[in-house]
Amino acid sequence: MGQWQFHTPDGVQDLLPDDCYAKRQLEHKLRDLFWQRGYLELETPGIEFYDVYASGSGLAPQEGLFKFFDQQGRILCLRYDGTVPAARVAATLYRDSQLPLRFSYINSMYRYNESGGGRQREFSQAGVELMGSQSPAADAEIIAMAIESAQATGIKDLQVSIGQVNFFKGLVAEWGLDEETAEKLHRLIDAKDMVAIEELSDRIGLAGKAREVLLQMPALFGTYDVIDRLETLVENALSREALENLRAVLGHLDDAGLLEFVSLDLGQLQSLNYYSGVIFKGFTYGLGFPLFSGGRYDQLVGNFGRDLSATGFSIGLNFALMALRRQGHSLPSRPAVDFLGYHPSRQADALDRVRQMRQNGWSVVCDYDGKSYAELTQLAEHGDFTSILYLGPDSDDIETIEPQVAP
Amino acid sequence: MDTLTIALSKGRLAEQAIELLEQAGYDCSAAKEKSRKLILEDAQTGLRFIMAKPADVPTYVEYGAADIGVVGKDTLLEESRQLYEVLNLGFGACRMCVCGPKALAGRLDRLPNKRIGTKYPHIAREYFETKKRESVEIIKLNGSVELAPLIGLSDVIVDIVESGRTLDENGLGVLEVIEDISARMVVNRVSMKMKADRINPLIQAVRVQLDQNRQQAVAAAATAARAEVTA
Repeated sequence: MGQWQFHTPDGVQDLLPDDCYAKRQLEHKLRDLFWQRGYLELETPGIEFYDVYASGSGLAPQEGLFKFFDQQGRILCLRYDGTVPAARVAATLYRDSQLPLRFSYINSMYRYNESGGGRQREFSQAGVELMGSQSPAADAEIIAMAIESAQATGIKDLQVSIGQVNFFKGLVAEWGLDEETAEKLHRLIDAKDMVAIEELSDRIGLAGKAREVLLQMPALFGTYDVIDRLETLVENALSREALENLRAVLGHLDDAGLLEFVSLDLGQLQSLNYYSGVIFKGFTYGLGFPLFSGGRYDQLVGNFGRDLSATGFSIGLNFALMALRRQGHSLPSRPAVDFLGYHPSRQADALDRVRQMRQNGWSVVCDYDGKSYAELTQLAEHGDFTSILYLGPDSDDIETIEPQVAP
Repeated sequence: MDTLTIALSKGRLAEQAIELLEQAGYDCSAAKEKSRKLILEDAQTGLRFIMAKPADVPTYVEYGAADIGVVGKDTLLEESRQLYEVLNLGFGACRMCVCGPKALAGRLDRLPNKRIGTKYPHIAREYFETKKRESVEIIKLNGSVELAPLIGLSDVIVDIVESGRTLDENGLGVLEVIEDISARMVVNRVSMKMKADRINPLIQAVRVQLDQNRQQAVAAAATAARAEVTA
């Protein structure tokens, strides 16, 4: 007998009926939302070849993948995210299809990360990918869907911060930074470590407008005003295009009436070899981590042999449930389940009645071991069922058994 | 008003953080209460302080259990968490160093298969494996790290050095400096967005206060550094 037979491994959990029901309801809402917008649901396998995630310069950190071998000794891994498998499908099975492609998924993901604070190693993500469009309108559609998805789960307080990785890439090129310095600067901006940014800026000899951009970049929040401000400070074409691109995306979100939720943060950088344009993260109260995140990844699908610009987002369902609970919203609660008991002489009646009730959409459990009236009274007191019905020996009537003490 | 939760590293760092916040115009009388309470809250100012073990502060802040934390850079490097590191508070200054027998000075790179005793396995690994591209054996210790090279448990140690006196008295010296260390203010990445209207003014007020204090702090650090060199 092993030591671990009573336990689940670190980072995975049993989802008990109340939580399971609430989660399924969220899934239904999101699935409807995705379908309504024409995003076709895709179920990729729970197991992929390791090579899928190792392609290019690495689409997922090696340490984060759950790995094992198949019988031929090839390395397999558990599904790490929804985007990379969708990219594989788009570039292979859909290689001759009309563009754009619209995919959605709702699946469990597996990441060998430190768990805690609501983070699990197995967690549910819902997301969409829009592949084959470079238009800022596509980015705006994805951001709008992310906001609507969060709202569909019931979360009202929402902040979305939007960045553009090309703004930073343009600056790195303009300043002629080597890879190591660029990498270091990326890390410092990402951590908003102003002291170290200032030191580094002195070391690489930035002055005037260049210095001003670097020092303002991590701290500027707003919408159009941020773009106006930065436009006066940057010269290089890539950064300026990034700002114009953001202006266009904001314009679409403005027209959709969603501008109140968003704020630009050019210091938000994320992984540069994965994302290639607009990136965003959604935040709400009660969660230490972003509720959703996404962005443009024009180079990723190319790893699977088809150049396809693309953008997408994913929202964490476990995070959504946790935020709803912490914000005091009531979660969708399980519908009532009734119990029907009967005197042995009424079996045929009972089965008929149960069939009718179920046809009418009731959830009902039918007694199978001849519970006595007294036993049914006990069951009523236990409170597992919403109401207990009883077909007595000599009447046609159906009786509702009340608990004798308040439950 | 939203409550702002600030995690402080129990001990001297907490005292200095409270002093700085008070100078910057934040009423911290709740936090100064002499008691064994771990959570000190002032409903009026909307500030709640939690007194945590230093190594736990980054965790509290990353998971959003605290919005803001004050913690040493050594702990931040060792824990390596996803946080915003917004301010260098200046106090608690020291250096993270590779130390060992003085005979090894300038010859460290020629010593193969190093065994390294340290309270900071992550920092040591990061320095030797990522920066110097060298595989090393790390021996995790919990205190009196200087003992390890003296009795042959390890070749060198990675530890914080303030004055360098303990090293000197034991015939050891600083071989390489990994990084300058001091207390930092860190902010949870979600709080920075969701509670921006409270956090940004606080950072700004502390920044202004730090600028005022900086001259003295810089002078003091310089004196300390000189003292260490001559010692």
